[in-house]
Amino acid sequence: MNDHDDHYHHIEPWGPHDWGHGAPHNSFSPFFLSLGVAVFLFAFAQAWEYGTYNPGHIPAILVGLGIIGFSMFIWWRQDISFDGSYEPLSTGTPFRKIEIRKVSVWVFLMSEMMVFTSLFSTYMRYRLGISNCNTVFERGMFDPVTNPTGWQEGVAVTCFEPASHLIASSWWHLAPGAINTFALIISSFTVVQALRYAKMPDLDHDVRTKKVFRYLASTWALAIIFLTLKMVEWFVGFYVPEIHLGPIHIHEHDIISLVNEGYTINADHYQHHSYVDHDTGAHMVADIQVSASLFYVTTGTHGAHVAGGIIGLSYMTYKAWKGLYTPLNAVSIEYFGLYWHFVDLIWVLVFPFFYLY
Amino acid sequence: MERKALITRSMVAMILLSIAMVFSPAVNSLPGGIGGDTIQSAGCNCHNSFPSSDVIASLEGLPEEYNVSETYPIVVSFTGGPPEAGVNAGGFNLWSSGGEFSVIDATVQARSPGEVTHTEVGNDYREWSLEWTAPSHGRDVDFILHVNSVNGDDGNGGGLDEWNRLDLTVAGSLGPGLEQADPYKVLGTLIIISVILLAATILYGFYRVNPDNFDWEHLAPWIVDWLTSTDHKKVGTLYFVASLFFLGIGGIMAMMIRIQLAAPGLNFISQDQYNQFFTLHGTTMIFLAAMPMINGFANWIVPLQIGAPDLALPRINALSFWLQPFAALLIFTGVFTGQGADTGWTGYAPYVVSEGAHTGVTMWVAGQIMLVASSTLTGINFLTTMAVMRAEGMGWMQMPLFTWSILVANLMLFLSIPAFGVGLIQVYLDRTVSTAFYDIGAGGDPLLWSHLFWYFGHPEVYVVIVPAFGVISEVLATSARRSVFGYRSMVYAMAGIGIVSFIVYGHHMFTSGMSPSLRFVTMLTTMLVAVPTGIKIFNWLKTMHGGSLVYRTHTLWALGFLVTFTLGGISGMFFPSMAMDVHLHETYFVVAHFHYVLVGGTVFGFFSAIYYWYPKMTGRMMDERLGTLHFLTAFVSYNGIFWPMHRLGVVGMARRQHTYFITTEDFNHLPEWAADWNLFISVSAFLFFFSNFIMIANMLISLVRGQKAPADPWGGWSFEWMTSSPPPTPSFGRFDGEKWHDLPVLRDANEHIANEPGAFASWFNRLMVPENEEEVGH
Repeated sequence: MNDHDDHYHHIEPWGPHDWGHGAPHNSFSPFFLSLGVAVFLFAFAQAWEYGTYNPGHIPAILVGLGIIGFSMFIWWRQDISFDGSYEPLSTGTPFRKIEIRKVSVWVFLMSEMMVFTSLFSTYMRYRLGISNCNTVFERGMFDPVTNPTGWQEGVAVTCFEPASHLIASSWWHLAPGAINTFALIISSFTVVQALRYAKMPDLDHDVRTKKVFRYLASTWALAIIFLTLKMVEWFVGFYVPEIHLGPIHIHEHDIISLVNEGYTINADHYQHHSYVDHDTGAHMVADIQVSASLFYVTTGTHGAHVAGGIIGLSYMTYKAWKGLYTPLNAVSIEYFGLYWHFVDLIWVLVFPFFYLY
Repeated sequence: MERKALITRSMVAMILLSIAMVFSPAVNSLPGGIGGDTIQSAGCNCHNSFPSSDVIASLEGLPEEYNVSETYPIVVSFTGGPPEAGVNAGGFNLWSSGGEFSVIDATVQARSPGEVTHTEVGNDYREWSLEWTAPSHGRDVDFILHVNSVNGDDGNGGGLDEWNRLDLTVAGSLGPGLEQADPYKVLGTLIIISVILLAATILYGFYRVNPDNFDWEHLAPWIVDWLTSTDHKKVGTLYFVASLFFLGIGGIMAMMIRIQLAAPGLNFISQDQYNQFFTLHGTTMIFLAAMPMINGFANWIVPLQIGAPDLALPRINALSFWLQPFAALLIFTGVFTGQGADTGWTGYAPYVVSEGAHTGVTMWVAGQIMLVASSTLTGINFLTTMAVMRAEGMGWMQMPLFTWSILVANLMLFLSIPAFGVGLIQVYLDRTVSTAFYDIGAGGDPLLWSHLFWYFGHPEVYVVIVPAFGVISEVLATSARRSVFGYRSMVYAMAGIGIVSFIVYGHHMFTSGMSPSLRFVTMLTTMLVAVPTGIKIFNWLKTMHGGSLVYRTHTLWALGFLVTFTLGGISGMFFPSMAMDVHLHETYFVVAHFHYVLVGGTVFGFFSAIYYWYPKMTGRMMDERLGTLHFLTAFVSYNGIFWPMHRLGVVGMARRQHTYFITTEDFNHLPEWAADWNLFISVSAFLFFFSNFIMIANMLISLVRGQKAPADPWGGWSFEWMTSSPPPTPSFGRFDGEKWHDLPVLRDANEHIANEPGAFASWFNRLMVPENEEEVGH
């Protein structure tokens, strides 16, 4: 078309970008990312149908994840040559001289806010709209004359069982949550430290590389700790040892784990052992699927954000290890830091709502 | 012919057609015989209307099972009637749901091929002969016979009369080779044909660019370039092509729906298939046709209008696009197994999570999750671009109105779609890993879904209409050769629509049993929407009033938009009123209303945009004669589709039902004329569908043979007209490895906008960082 075309039009859809020429570049990453997401969502829906698990479709899920990973690989391969010299700055009021991508991260967080707002709306709807299992239990056993609203042995009552009721019953289950909270808060600090050292202009390059790498790696490790504890809490549980010393002791309401207790999204006949009538020995059977769904999906959405952060951090840690973060090219740590602080902030809301209250 | 004369005559013809349309139902005369709108449902009304079992009607000559297309002689007769002296004689009315009656003597007349009655000559008989030709479809045919037995001949209302009714059903047999078409196969075939045509068009386009390079070595890199491009103009074109393709697919579904509804009692599409067709029609049209169309223009025009070299995040932009075709694949996955989503585009819980819903619902939800991701990324991209990449000197209040409309639309979309996304993820998990968000048995609340959906859904309908407002503002201002009237009020009106959109969604749930006080609040806020919209309409009229209008095709579409959108807005004002809403809920009045605003608003607005910006995008002018033809045929046939639907809705024709009845005591039977109007609508629908191919042909022909377009063919003055047609890459400026050079500044363009800020704006400006750094010192 004109001279500009050859100069600006880079058909290198796989390879590293030549950032010296500015945008636009070609990239296969969006195409494959979309394909991967579609394959994953398709295969996931084949593998689970209304809770029925069909293991034959697991390879397809892995293929989907593989394509997503491949697209991320292309994205990073193109990005790794980015040295910060092409960092577009805002020209419009009121964001003049601010990095464009930083503004976009803030805008992105605005929509993330709405995601969690919707989840918390769902939480409020069900938490306030369905009677609490404890309240139902306290109404006492059913009697046609004296207690017509009571519960009956063997008849499931729909009620809301907050996960906190189980978790807060023992320090053994609350402590991992607390550790997680501090892990995230500390990781927010380490990521800021990484940014601080990356931006420090008069620092020796090797020292900077080492510092940035170590702080990013600590952030990564803390995020891994968070996710590991969460996975254990979800799928395994924390087994309470048989000790009766000091503040750590087992009382009869202690649970072994959420799964063991039957606090799962598929359990429509859940019996918590505190819901036993002392006089008659009758059990109250509760249908707690809604509360369990809420707990797993909300903490899971947050967990997915942490997992996404870990994937991004892995690349950034690698880039730091390669010594590619310079004062000129430090802002991408800041972008990640914004996101990471947000994830941290959400946890500060999720934790009290689902673990404490 | 002079253009002006052509336009004038076309306008006159259009007005005449419109007037004829309004009056045609009244042109209906019955010289004799029993008839009337309600005879099939309410009974005979020819004399005194006493139904009586003393009268025995008989219909002889019909077989137990008819042969396709065979003609049978039949005899209508009756016995009995009022017991007084005199001979009982009278009249009859015979209706059939299929086949054709033919008259053999002067005693009988046909009111329509499916209905006969006696003539004046044939009055006062007890027996009539005629012929009936069986239909070719081979399905069951219902007959309804009314006979009226009159004692003596005292004229109307004089003598005693009694009438009775006979219902008869004749089974049909399908002859050899006359199987009914499978709608899935029809749809599948048409989609495959569309794909092949699209591929052929693309190949031809590549061939036309350079016939010598028509080989794989050149084709492969060209295709790869399109698959991987992050240039806003190329991504915009991709959006554009995808949207036109899906407009066609959605249109094919609409046509199949219209075939089904062309006559009462048809069974071309079963209820089960019909559910899938209207679900996918809605989802396709909203998410895969309208939104990509908007994004296509936003991609193309917004960076050009604000003087930016590209969007803020080009690769994210490409991702926004590519999520859509793959999402479309997921959405359509279920259809070809006969298990497509059958929930309606609203996907109401608890049906959407129940095992009774088709398995394709899961895929439909999965596809929409991807579309939500796509829209969110688009929102991030555009909001950032408009916030940070405006040309030097272009404040918020100097942005062109199309850019403003995209800003408002994206802000609305962006703040509302996460709620929908979360709802979809909940449904997806309910359907896969069996969470219990919408499982009523476990305590789930279906209304929660309605809230999450409509919290998104209502802003969404403004998301698709507000960009059309932007287009119309640009087109009318350019065509009227003046600046738009009341620029600032236009901006505030759009922002007002954006804000109000979040507090009106309750009107979609009036019949869900929500609290009456909340209904009242929602009613008021919904009616409030008319205020900013009215301001916009007024400003457009005033823009034309003060200007000197040039009638180009895009102007015609803009004028068409004004009419149809205003009509759609007026019909919209019926819904906030609760009593009216309860009556009109789930009827064709609703269908008429939202098609008037979505087709008459969004689609017409973007047709205007196509004619307006096509020269900028391709460097070729479009053919104005074909454009005018397209406008006339499409505008008239469009009104022919949706205007009668208001009337059908008022008499209670229910939407989302695969058929309707006009005669029996079946649920929701309609007056007899409903069948005529439905046929009229179906014919109009086909006209509308095919008239749009005039535009497609125009685009393709112009691409090859069109005149070369100058940089500013219409005399527009926003930034996009300052670049060449088509614009270079990057669209503005030049990057030397460190910084951008030669980016435009606003004083390059005519300062056509009222720049003096008002009281609110100057207060708002004070909150902003000063535009020029020199001002910091003051």
